[in-house]
Amino acid sequence: MVDAMSIKSGLSPGADSEPKVVVRNLWKVFGPHAQRVLAALQSGDSKQQAALEGGHVVAVRDATFSVQPGEIFVIMGLSGSGKSTLVRCISRLIEPTGGYIAVGGAEVTAMDAAQLMQLRRHSLSMVFQHFGLFPHRTVLQNAAYGLEVQGVPLAQREARAREMLELVGLAGWADSRPQRLSGGMQQRVGLARALAVDPAVLLCDEPFSALDPLIRRDMQDELLRLQQMMHKTILFITHDFLEALKLGDRIAIMKDGRLVQVGTPEEIVSNPAGDYVREFTRDAPRAKVITARSLAQARAGVEAPAVAASTRLEELLQRMAAGETQLCVREEDGTLLGVVDQAAVLRALAGAAPR
Amino acid sequence: MAAVNAGRWLALCAGAAAAVLLGIHFIGSGFGPFPVEWNIGLRQPIDGFQSWVIGNRSTHPIFLFVFGPFSAFVDWGLRAAENILLWLPWPVTVWLFAALAWQVANWRITVVTVCGLLFMGLMGLWEQSMQTLALMVIAVSLSLLVSVPLGILAARHAHLQQILRPILDLMQTMPAFVYLIPVLLFFGVARVPSVVATMIYAIPPGIRLTELGLRQVSPPVVEAARAFGATRRQLLWHVQLPLALPAIMAGVNQTIMMALSIVIIAALIGAGGLGREVLVALQRLQVGRALEAGLAVVLLAIIMDRISDALANRQSEIYVAGANTGYAAKRPAWQRARIVVPLVAAVLLLAALVLGVQSFPEAARLPLYQPVDVAVGWMRDNLYRIGNSGWGTGPLSDLITIRMLDPLRALFAHGLAWPVQVALAVCAGAALSGFPLALQAGLGLFAIGMLGMWELAMDTVSQVVVAVAISIVLAVPLGIWAARSAWVDALLRPILDTLQTIPSFVFLVPVIMLFNVGRVPGVIASVLYALPPGIRLTTLGLRQVNDEVREAARAFGSSSWQLLTKVELPLALPSILLGINQVIMMALAMVVISGLVGGAGLGLEAVIGLAKGQTGRGIEAGLAIAILAIIPDRMLHAAAHRLQPPV
Ligand SMILES: Nc1ncnc2c1ncn2[C@@H]1O[C@H](COP(=O)(O)OP(=O)(O)O)[C@@H](O)[C@H]1O
Ligand SMILES: [Mg+2]
Repeated sequence: MVDAMSIKSGLSPGADSEPKVVVRNLWKVFGPHAQRVLAALQSGDSKQQAALEGGHVVAVRDATFSVQPGEIFVIMGLSGSGKSTLVRCISRLIEPTGGYIAVGGAEVTAMDAAQLMQLRRHSLSMVFQHFGLFPHRTVLQNAAYGLEVQGVPLAQREARAREMLELVGLAGWADSRPQRLSGGMQQRVGLARALAVDPAVLLCDEPFSALDPLIRRDMQDELLRLQQMMHKTILFITHDFLEALKLGDRIAIMKDGRLVQVGTPEEIVSNPAGDYVREFTRDAPRAKVITARSLAQARAGVEAPAVAASTRLEELLQRMAAGETQLCVREEDGTLLGVVDQAAVLRALAGAAPR
Repeated sequence: MAAVNAGRWLALCAGAAAAVLLGIHFIGSGFGPFPVEWNIGLRQPIDGFQSWVIGNRSTHPIFLFVFGPFSAFVDWGLRAAENILLWLPWPVTVWLFAALAWQVANWRITVVTVCGLLFMGLMGLWEQSMQTLALMVIAVSLSLLVSVPLGILAARHAHLQQILRPILDLMQTMPAFVYLIPVLLFFGVARVPSVVATMIYAIPPGIRLTELGLRQVSPPVVEAARAFGATRRQLLWHVQLPLALPAIMAGVNQTIMMALSIVIIAALIGAGGLGREVLVALQRLQVGRALEAGLAVVLLAIIMDRISDALANRQSEIYVAGANTGYAAKRPAWQRARIVVPLVAAVLLLAALVLGVQSFPEAARLPLYQPVDVAVGWMRDNLYRIGNSGWGTGPLSDLITIRMLDPLRALFAHGLAWPVQVALAVCAGAALSGFPLALQAGLGLFAIGMLGMWELAMDTVSQVVVAVAISIVLAVPLGIWAARSAWVDALLRPILDTLQTIPSFVFLVPVIMLFNVGRVPGVIASVLYALPPGIRLTTLGLRQVNDEVREAARAFGSSSWQLLTKVELPLALPSILLGINQVIMMALAMVVISGLVGGAGLGLEAVIGLAKGQTGRGIEAGLAIAILAIIPDRMLHAAAHRLQPPV
């Protein structure tokens, strides 16, 4: 059933340029005979499969996706669905069992140990769920760690680390030990440490899951603020669907090691692929996610005030409440997409599929 | 914060003082040896006291009503235990031990037990083994009689715990040797002092583990019992003690092992048994005989360790597996054993008495010592110098003596003037912890001088330093290797387990086979004795590094070396320092014992004091040894504590 599900590629910034991260047919099997299990799984021989899977965990099943430059790509799934494994395969902290991975055009799956080390030093950075800070180092030394292992001279790396600490609002804490900081501040150190090496790709494994809800919201805003300045390519893991909607340019939903749907928040909320995904979208803030673009119905000869295609449902609702019955939806360049009427707005709000 | 700053300031001052003194030392006429006039002359009053004790032992109330009755009671118990064990025909004893091993452990340990006991008989050591066993039984029972109730009390009363902790620390820091002399003074001759010395050494782990076990009982369980209205006594007997039983049994195991290790040393003050056998053979350089007796000790240690360990594990298994699988399933076996074991024992006993079998037959003596002595002779001739290659144990021994021991001894005893050393000790104490430790370190060293033990102490220090340095150079890399490779870990584990069950004394036996007598065998034996905790704590420290922290280091592209040096080792350092501390304590304990095989210094002094009944001399040496143990112990604990990142 899941196999048949279409994996859509949504519109995102720079969709037509070369993808920054490419993952094709990635598999990860934990256990003593991983390769044999993989072969059995790929051949589809179900009887042999069942016999072999005992004692094995298939953490990632045939994952394929790509991430565009400057995009925040969120992988959302419940605990145990294989998110951490997937993201660790990209830097080969966990060795994939099969499949193809490329970062910035370089094939990660073909790299030897030395190339891999260079990749981790210069192109990939990671932020961890429990921060992963070094308790024996000061905040500054933590932030400078990535540069230190690269061999950057002390003065230079500390200057850069200070800059990063300032960026995340921790300028005054450089000489403290990380344990003395609150959780939110510790994760800011984690962010500063990751950004200090100026990586092309940032991998975040549930970075805000260990934080209190209010702090978590602050940190989400902080990440968006930083992203506006830095335009990194970010792979962001979360088990929180609302966080995924808020941060993601695109979201991949993962279940039992498989990507069951990949799309923009709007696509996923307005067109969930199957009951599993629909279950998540039930509490989604539709008014903030759905835009006029997906509501527009082609209808000729209607005279009505125009709105941009990116106008959110909540604003459309206000316009309707103010007395409009119909609105024309136009792209930024002026092309007419169609018309939105009150009925379409109400249907979208109620969670029914568009007609 | 303020204390640390004051400590730093003090460290600076002491460092400056050391530098100035060093300058005076080299430029001017320098300082002589520690002034003889400053000797506080502890020896005379102690010897006087000893005469008084000897004169009043049969009249003074303290002996009549305190030490006397206690001694009589212990002596009675000892005799009883020994008489029973020696009277029991050996097949009955073997049967009972086998049944015990079978009941609490498995067939493998049963086989080890039977073979071990038979070996003791075949070596002609049956009687000595039974004597040692009797001493163990009495010493361990008395120790538990003290330690378990004290542990319970300490777990319930915070004040008592606070009072006990430093005392226990001190008791465990001091080498066992140190107790022997004062104990001898108060409890007279014969074997009572060995029981008392053993108790002093074996009581702390019993108290510690009982207390720990009780404290670890999960609060919700205690709360539940309270909620049902249990009184304090009911709570203790129905809930806390049963749940603490695995820890208490672990304490029993530790008590037994501690007791065994010192029962052997106690041969020095007349404990007899296997210890005496090793001691005499060592002194006469009968290596074969020493090896036989040493092996018997090791076998006894392994038997007692595995059986008591199995007992402790069975306790915890019952809780983990639940009553259905573990305990209840074994029930029928227990019921049957209750009938079968005594029945067979009775039959064997009758048969043995009828046939007149009691002690192990002389005819079955297996002369292991003969081939061993031949082998030792061969090794002396061939390994001491291997051809003209310049290799062999002789050149190695010379290397250690000439390149390490002698220069270090010269440095400590004469090269560095004593005021400089005191100033350096103060400096280190201040830097690591603050004023109190600085004071303790300075006063401690000074006191060694005032005891008139400066030179002897520096000789011992040089041996300990060499032993510790070699141990660290071996232990830390091995520990790192074991932490990184499951294979190495699996290989090392049984070796370390075995090394740790061997009483310190026994290490000297194989070493003098290769290295003759002198200071070197003591150093080598110390290394063997001290390696296991060094390796273990290094591995443990590295294993405890948080996985996510390690992963973070890898994610940033650390090389294997960078991961080790920048992240893992710094985080494991507190644990490694505690390992080094253990290494120092064990090396010190061993170097002192090596006084028996020609290691000079404080050990020899204490041995002479013991052997000649010169209590004053022995106590002076013992005090100096105790000080030498306490100072590095405090410093390394302080260092480890400072490095521990606040959580
Ligand atoms: N080292 C491992 N060995 C065996 N199984 C593992 C290992 N790491 C993860 N798993 C299993 O793989 C599955 C996915 O785990 P993970 O990637 O951590 O999920 P998530 O991050 O989504 O919670 C889980 O079933 C987990 O038990
Ligand atoms: Mg995870």
